[in-house]
Amino acid sequence: MAPVTLRQVQKRYGELTVIKGADIAIADGEFVVLVGPSGCGKSTLLRMIAGLEPISGGTVSIGGRVVNDVEPKDRDIAMVFQNYALYPHMTVATNMGFSLEHRGGSKAEIAERVRWAADILGLAPLLDRYPRQLSGGQRQRVAMGRAIVRSPQVFLFDEPLSNLDAQLRVQMRGEIKALHQRLGTTMIYVTHDQVEAMTMADRIVVLNKGNIEQIGAPLDLYDQPANRFVAGFIGSPAMNFIPGRLAAAGFVSDAGAALPLPPGAAPAFAGAALYGVRPEHLDLADDGLPARVRLVEPMGSETHLTLDAAGVPLLAALRRRVHLAPGALVHLRPEPAEAHLFDAETGHRLPPA
Amino acid sequence: MTADDGSYRRPFWTIERRDGVVGLLFVAPQLVGIVLFVLVPLALVFWYSLHEWNVLANTFTFKGAANYRKLLEDPTLPEVLGATALFSAGLVVLNLGLALALALLVNQKLRGIVVFRTLFFSPVVVSLVAWTIVWGFLLQANGTINGFLGALGIEGPNWLRHPTTAMISVVVVQVFKNVGLNMVLFLAALQGVPNELYEAARVDGAPRFKQFRRITLPLISPTILLTSIITVVGSLQVFAQIAVLTQGGPGVSTTVLVYYLYQQAFQFHLFGYGSTLAILLFVIVLTLTVLQWQMRRRLVFYEN
Amino acid sequence: MKTELSPRLKLVLYGLLCVLAVPFVFPTWWMVTSSMKPVSDIFAFPPALIPTTYDFSSYADVFRLQPFARQYFNSAYIAAVVTAGTMLVASFSGYAFARIRFPGHNALFLVVLTGLLIPSEVTIVPLFRMFLKWGMINTHWPLILVPIFGAPSVFATFVMRQFFIALPGELEEAARVDGLSRLKIFWTIALPLARPALAAVAIFTFLHSWNLYLEPVVYLSNPSVFTLPQALTQYVDAYGGPMWNIQLAAATLTALPVLLVFIVAQKHFVEGLAHTGLKG
Repeated sequence: MAPVTLRQVQKRYGELTVIKGADIAIADGEFVVLVGPSGCGKSTLLRMIAGLEPISGGTVSIGGRVVNDVEPKDRDIAMVFQNYALYPHMTVATNMGFSLEHRGGSKAEIAERVRWAADILGLAPLLDRYPRQLSGGQRQRVAMGRAIVRSPQVFLFDEPLSNLDAQLRVQMRGEIKALHQRLGTTMIYVTHDQVEAMTMADRIVVLNKGNIEQIGAPLDLYDQPANRFVAGFIGSPAMNFIPGRLAAAGFVSDAGAALPLPPGAAPAFAGAALYGVRPEHLDLADDGLPARVRLVEPMGSETHLTLDAAGVPLLAALRRRVHLAPGALVHLRPEPAEAHLFDAETGHRLPPA
Repeated sequence: MTADDGSYRRPFWTIERRDGVVGLLFVAPQLVGIVLFVLVPLALVFWYSLHEWNVLANTFTFKGAANYRKLLEDPTLPEVLGATALFSAGLVVLNLGLALALALLVNQKLRGIVVFRTLFFSPVVVSLVAWTIVWGFLLQANGTINGFLGALGIEGPNWLRHPTTAMISVVVVQVFKNVGLNMVLFLAALQGVPNELYEAARVDGAPRFKQFRRITLPLISPTILLTSIITVVGSLQVFAQIAVLTQGGPGVSTTVLVYYLYQQAFQFHLFGYGSTLAILLFVIVLTLTVLQWQMRRRLVFYEN
Repeated sequence: MKTELSPRLKLVLYGLLCVLAVPFVFPTWWMVTSSMKPVSDIFAFPPALIPTTYDFSSYADVFRLQPFARQYFNSAYIAAVVTAGTMLVASFSGYAFARIRFPGHNALFLVVLTGLLIPSEVTIVPLFRMFLKWGMINTHWPLILVPIFGAPSVFATFVMRQFFIALPGELEEAARVDGLSRLKIFWTIALPLARPALAAVAIFTFLHSWNLYLEPVVYLSNPSVFTLPQALTQYVDAYGGPMWNIQLAAATLTALPVLLVFIVAQKHFVEGLAHTGLKG
């Protein structure tokens, strides 16, 4: 177990800078998820920690030691890859014990470690099979088994669940989380799926275009997004944004509707702003923001309404059944306590948290 | 152990540098070989073409452009180049055409088709000279082929002793020897065409011939290009078949460039002139390869 | 084109296939059977597809007139050494060009590719002079060194490189994290997975070496160092005419073992060859 610290880590390909100086301090035993849309640099960051990608600037240290120029094998890390990367010409047992073989363990020791890992992951009956004889979920488990046999200081996961079907993904999510609780090892996990990030992480690092947008606990990101990007990325369905102007009097949308301000949001700022409200915090009311219903999607427990408020697309998730026809005119009321304000120009939260 | 105190300096031997050295070591044997056995000899062959080297007297004298002048004035060379062109053209057309036809045939869903694939491919693994000797035996004036023709009431020619039939013979013998190779490559390409495309075409009502022209051919065109480059270059290297079947005869009717080069250099010991012919061969191979590669834009369909 | 064919069309196709197969099969058949006939029978007409009387004296003559066993061994060991050597050189180099970023890897790859553009016939004169100077004429060194390190191995390198490019990079990264050096990654992960490509390289290289004719003719003049293709053409009478029965017997001995290996392992042959990266 070890802390991992990134200081001003950069990645450049010639002229192109894909990571623009990342600072992340990961505590010993923490589960940190790097999340962001594709191309945000999250996998590159993970691969730099692993030593699979040269670091162009800054330092990565594991357990207090700078590892920039240390071979992956000497960093005491283990990694689970997106496509599992199981050696197709070796059995499950050999795959799992392979790294120990190259670290000079005795045959009995290796067998014991493999057995231990196989028991944790329920792989014992599969040890003599070849990867091609396994299902996707089983392969995923073997890849994790290969990582844990060595009891490394840090586990790295590169989108490990993205090749599984939805149901299996939920199950494996729970297993990885349980594994973390059992082993207590530092884990760094990359995904593009914000649900995975929310459900698994101790802390989330949101990345966008090579920049760190925000670092924080899942619910903090949900409740206090630092900017428009994080607000739109975390939470599903995504937050609604209504453009307008913020003044001493309050917020008025471009279409002229006045919206209630969150409590304590003293408008020291005046100018173009975005009013953010999550679909689950919008409700039908007798007055408020006028909008026309475009689509009604009954989900059973919820009803999703796609609406149009003077050209601004909105989504409302109501926790009840409603009977509305497309084209109907309704009024929406945001819950003031759950509303967010952002500077329209910079995207920053108003007032800064 | 490097402490994490913000004063990190990179060592000289970074991971990438060390890996790069390993990479260079991995390619070193081949690189040395290419320099020693390809690039240096290529430079030398230019150098030799400006000289005359007498093996017996062991003299090596500078002759300037004399060998190139000789090349232009050599009365045999036009015939040799004609024979080379005829041989190559005949071989390439027959080989690729037959290979494609055979590939289409053995791609059919028929019982025991694997046996036919094996049969068509088998000459590829038969020793080249052995194959050529048997055909030399079959093609004699009183050989088996003429025996069969005689039984049909046809008087067969003395195949290897007439200019026209000799050329046809060496081409055909070579085609049967190696067509199986191209057949297998075409077959692999044909089997790489997704079946849905044919199903879609059938739903669209395209007749078989049209399916072949509009779907099969475009999709296997990269393979056709590559096999044709290999076949063209290979056709220019043919030596054993000529040496065994006709020794370049009758006259010089089957003397292709490589055989002529061999005669000049190693039978008449004109190493300077032989080197000049080698330069000519090099220029021809280079030109044809570049031309074919240029044509790929117009003729070859690429998926991306 | 995977539609079910009508029985009539099937019959037509079978007929066509059988007719087409004749020039591919008959020569080999004729070579084998004629070599077992008495000399007087091999020109008999109508020809007997199966010998009426067997006479193996031609086979005895093959060994009597030349050190044929020695020549056979020459060809076999040269082909074996060249095949193993080429597989090694080409997989190292093909792997590095596909997988390792070293300074100048693109330029160096172009240098190697020149080997594809320069047929060995072009450089035969300077090579002859080189080996003459090194005292290697009438030895097998030219037939071993040039194919392994020179132009003929470039095609093999190309095939190996194409294969390694397509190999998932994650496997090697996993191996790096697992603690393997580059050499070990190559040897224990990449190479075992490259079996189809290696099979193709082995087949091509073996056949190339086994069939080599111009080079032995140029470099070798002593019958005891001859290779098979060269030896086969030496069975001639006092007037230079071929002694057919003996040539056919020697040709049979040369061709049959490889042919039998091919028939036994034909699935690997065809699959291996289809796997040369020539699919475009």
